[in-house]
Amino acid sequence: MDIRGELRYRSLYWYNDGLRKAKIRDLTGAENSLKKSIQFDKYNKDARNLLGLVYYGRGDVTRALVVWTVSLKLVPADNIASDYIDEFKSSRGDLEAVDQTAKKYNQCLQYCRQGGEDLAVIQLKKIVTEHPDFLKAYQLLALLYLHTEQYAKARQVLRKAQKLDTTDPITLNYIYELNRMHRKRTSGQKDVKEQQTVSYKLGNETIIQPVETKEREKGMAFTIANIVIGLVVGAAVMWFLIMPAVNESQARQMNESIVEASDQIASQESEISALEKELESYRTQSDEAQTAKETAESTKSSYESLMDIQTKYRNGSESNENLADELLAINQDSLGDLGKEQFTELTESIYPSACRRQYNRGVANSDVENYEAAIENLSKVVRMDETYDDGNAMYLLAQAYEETGDTENAKNYYQKVTEQFSGTSLAEEAQSALESLNAAGSGNTGE
Amino acid sequence: MLNFEEELKKFQPSLEVDEIEEEALSEDLTDLSDLLKDILETTR
Repeated sequence: MDIRGELRYRSLYWYNDGLRKAKIRDLTGAENSLKKSIQFDKYNKDARNLLGLVYYGRGDVTRALVVWTVSLKLVPADNIASDYIDEFKSSRGDLEAVDQTAKKYNQCLQYCRQGGEDLAVIQLKKIVTEHPDFLKAYQLLALLYLHTEQYAKARQVLRKAQKLDTTDPITLNYIYELNRMHRKRTSGQKDVKEQQTVSYKLGNETIIQPVETKEREKGMAFTIANIVIGLVVGAAVMWFLIMPAVNESQARQMNESIVEASDQIASQESEISALEKELESYRTQSDEAQTAKETAESTKSSYESLMDIQTKYRNGSESNENLADELLAINQDSLGDLGKEQFTELTESIYPSACRRQYNRGVANSDVENYEAAIENLSKVVRMDETYDDGNAMYLLAQAYEETGDTENAKNYYQKVTEQFSGTSLAEEAQSALESLNAAGSGNTGE
Repeated sequence: MLNFEEELKKFQPSLEVDEIEEEALSEDLTDLSDLLKDILETTR
């Protein structure tokens, strides 16, 4: 192989190496390899174009455009660099944005050099938001965070920077510095016991974390114990303080409900009582009305009968016996004074002859022991005149009852005879008969 | 401990668009073959 071939070969070798590193985002490694590649052969357009892409991948667009421009100048024909450049040229907005980003970044550098770290931080945060692949902006921001001791933010920014280029020395240096400062802070704490730590590498980053110790386990046990104690205390508070109050409240509500219900019941009972009284009064009124009605009817009937009897007596169309029966049927209480007067006149006219006929008939029936008929006759006589025949009518009636076995009525009339005709022989006989009846009654009960 | 000022010096300004052409023209395009040519010519 001649020298040209050898150089060409070595250029390709480094190009491949650069390509391999670019694929795994080792852009710093890729940049170094590709630079070597074009040092061996400046006409290796692939190496130069890839180098431009590496710069583009790190957010350094203007640098990439420079490399592509040189690539196109060296190898004008069949060069993809022209497509890259045309894409930016065709879009004026893209080129303008790239220019503004570069200007802003340069302004941030100025702020940092003039002591305006706060302004630089603000500006850089905007830059990385608008261009999240601008590596140098992340690194400068990380430096500012480290300078102002905002270590957590610095770590966050450096993580993003490392994703863009895993082997950038500035990024790795800042990460190392962060870890060193973190170790220094934690080892300086006197109350922290010496902890066992586990450190391992994850890619290009060193991870250091403490091992879980028994202290942490004890802490967990204490935590659980505290939780249990808390639950017990809470339950006790509930039982002794809150539940009685709740129960009392419920009991009070219950009592109030009961009282309310009792009041309602009492009210309803009172209402019922009032309604019952009202009903009773209505019934009374109804009874009174009925009585009044009956009385009125009776009065009307009585007067009509009286007039009828009077008419019959005057024209002699009825016998005195029949008229006497009709007079006996009249309710004297329903008659007024005039009516009673007329009634008395009629009875005085009709009763004597009627009594005579009924008494004779009654005596005759008694003699033939037809006591039922005798009772009927003599009852009428006694009703018309209790003293008829000096009480003999009543005495004979008592006897008729006695003979029929109606002891009560017999005693009743015997008693009346003794009372109304006391001192007479008739009364003595009545008394004797009464005593016999009483003795007979006692003897029966004694048996 | 990082020295802020020293670290800051490592950060170079970014190229602006109107500087691209000038930068491209000033790029050193010498590769090994050019060097060998120079060496050969020098030794003659």
